[in-house]
Amino acid sequence: MTRRNRLPRIAAVGGLALTMALSLSACGGNDSASGGDKIHVLVYGDATNKVEKQLVATFNKTSKVKVVLDTIPGADYQAKLQTIINSKQAPDVFFNWGGGSIKPFVDAGLLLPLDDFIAKDPGLKDNFLPSVFNSTVVDGKSYGVPMRGTQPVLMFNNSKVLKENGLAAPKTWDELLNAVKVLKSKGVTPIALGGGDKWPTLMWFEYLFDRVAGPELVQSAVKGDKDVWATDGSKDALNKLKELIDAGAFGTNFDSVKFTDGGSPTLLATGKAAFELMGSWEYSTLQDSQPDFAKTDLDYSAFPSIDGGKGAPTDIVGNTNNFYSVLKKTKHPEEVAEFLKLMYSDQFVKAQLSIGNLPTTTNTEAQLDTAANPDYVHFQYDLVKNAPSFQLSWDQAYPQTAGTALSTAVQQFFNGGIDVDGFIKAMQGLPTS
Amino acid sequence: MTTTATAVSAASKGVQRSGRGPGRSHEGASRPGFAWAAPAAFFFGLFAIVPLLLVVVLSFASWDGLSDPEFAGLDNWKKLFDDPIMIKSLWLSLLLTFLGVVVQTPLSILLGVWAAGHQRNRAVLSAIYFVPLLLSATAVSVLWRAVLDPNFGVPAHAKWLFGDGNLFGNQSTAIAVLIFVGTWQFTPLHTLIYQGAARSVPRVLYQAAEIDGAGRYRQFFHITLPQLRNSVVTSMILMVVGGLTTFDTVLILTQGGPGTDTTISAYYMYQKAFKTFDYGTASAIGVMLVLVATVISLVMVRLTGYDKMNSTMEGM
Repeated sequence: MTRRNRLPRIAAVGGLALTMALSLSACGGNDSASGGDKIHVLVYGDATNKVEKQLVATFNKTSKVKVVLDTIPGADYQAKLQTIINSKQAPDVFFNWGGGSIKPFVDAGLLLPLDDFIAKDPGLKDNFLPSVFNSTVVDGKSYGVPMRGTQPVLMFNNSKVLKENGLAAPKTWDELLNAVKVLKSKGVTPIALGGGDKWPTLMWFEYLFDRVAGPELVQSAVKGDKDVWATDGSKDALNKLKELIDAGAFGTNFDSVKFTDGGSPTLLATGKAAFELMGSWEYSTLQDSQPDFAKTDLDYSAFPSIDGGKGAPTDIVGNTNNFYSVLKKTKHPEEVAEFLKLMYSDQFVKAQLSIGNLPTTTNTEAQLDTAANPDYVHFQYDLVKNAPSFQLSWDQAYPQTAGTALSTAVQQFFNGGIDVDGFIKAMQGLPTS
Repeated sequence: MTTTATAVSAASKGVQRSGRGPGRSHEGASRPGFAWAAPAAFFFGLFAIVPLLLVVVLSFASWDGLSDPEFAGLDNWKKLFDDPIMIKSLWLSLLLTFLGVVVQTPLSILLGVWAAGHQRNRAVLSAIYFVPLLLSATAVSVLWRAVLDPNFGVPAHAKWLFGDGNLFGNQSTAIAVLIFVGTWQFTPLHTLIYQGAARSVPRVLYQAAEIDGAGRYRQFFHITLPQLRNSVVTSMILMVVGGLTTFDTVLILTQGGPGTDTTISAYYMYQKAFKTFDYGTASAIGVMLVLVATVISLVMVRLTGYDKMNSTMEGM
């Protein structure tokens, strides 16, 4: 090859490379989610999305600026959100759990305080139950509007299996232990547990600590008092839990079962297990995947009381609510405010109730009877209304940096990897700020 | 200016001289110009070298992904070496890699040599066999997670083999599943390498061996296997690098559990970065993985004489 015909080719190849590099970098520039005539709303992807799609369609009918619903399914929602929230792909509005889950974003100055919205339309605040609304107040400013509903954790059961074995939903800890014994002797796994996901396991700790040691223990632990983990109350709670695990309540292979892939709900629905402790979304999950079971044999009760414990038998744990927060850099704050108003509309409340979710708006109570399963939402409503304490899930209450260590400790305690002292040590090692 | 120029020309002369080994004269045939490698080099630099350097920088900083990174000196590195989970994760990575090589190598050599035959059924079977290679690791993991479900998957119907089916609840069985799934997915790739290599072994060698009365086994051990030497090294380096960077299967199949029993370094890096938002420590783990993989690859290349690129055709 001679020098003369080599040069143009080099130029061509080099030019091509340069063009490609330039066009690649250009891609990032015009992909800004908050630009254009669209509002991006990011939500946790699950069965509830069908209601959100309806609302978005309603909004888009009359609005010039269209809402686009984006979903991230699965347990990695928070991780993915944090990865994009300070980038050009950030949404305008996003789903969150309030409190601790948005604190880092508030600290980084990314979120829009909603006080101006509320000044213009006081309904954005007054139409929600105050205790719920206030859980997104950070440093005196409101950063979220409640959406979806409140999510207490309940003891779900397969009423057919209980009936066949002459059992009823347990009201006390002893009744639960007895049910475990009876069911185990009949070859039924007493309690379905999605241990592979780890967070379903955590719910057992939350209730045991509430009932035995009282709701204050974890509150002070989250505030930084690590000594409370080593108190008698804490040890009692752990020993009670150990007793239940050792009785074979969860079977032996719970670490290989997941909730997120439908494993544990299917155990309950098919009668291979009799109970599952799960957030109130269990109903919409099963309504989606096992509609016949959800209609006929799915039953529920409050978590059993425990004699001699400090917590009230009417205390509940779970996610107090989900919220929409708004990014400061949104280009359409007025339209966002309009969209948020839908969260207290009658249409929203009806749609949520139809899938078993319980919105925390002031107009919810009047509409409870329109639900697909009025008994279920009435039960939840009374439970939440009458609860002296509603303990926020630990993984929401603790900062995100504690998440991995927390779920590892929880899993290890259940499968015998660590004992009571090991668990206490692990909890004392969690970061609290 | 002049000194630099002389130095450069001296250096380039030196390169030329060392390039001219005995019996490897390149006189006459001019070498392809560097310009031909420029596009590749450009993209390699942009997508491999630049990010790598950024990660090295980040390993000396503390960053939560939201605010600006702050210089943290050796903090991240100190934290790492005091962290029992980090040490454990490195061992687990090495163990998983070692087991992967040990299981996959013999299997893929046998399959590759078998598939190198010319009968029609082999071509069809080989084609079917390569299917796992076409699936993403995510799809493969989700698939096996469902197949291995203790209550509704295969273990529920084969209790004599799986017991209670708690495959993801014990360290040894969880590792076994990871090795199995990795093998299922990647053996086809290595089989492909061996199939190609086995087909290029000259027929005359086998014809000569047959005349000498060597049977199938002797032919395999004395002709095929030695002729596959370079392919073995290639395939093993791929396995080592792939093994050390395994991530997706762990993420979907075990999530590092039970406890931290399958938390390999790459997964631990992900946890540090995207679960606890400690990008500094995550970067330090990343740099460490790069170093370990580089050292292992170099050692393998040296020990096997792969760097000399000797032809297996020598002596023909």
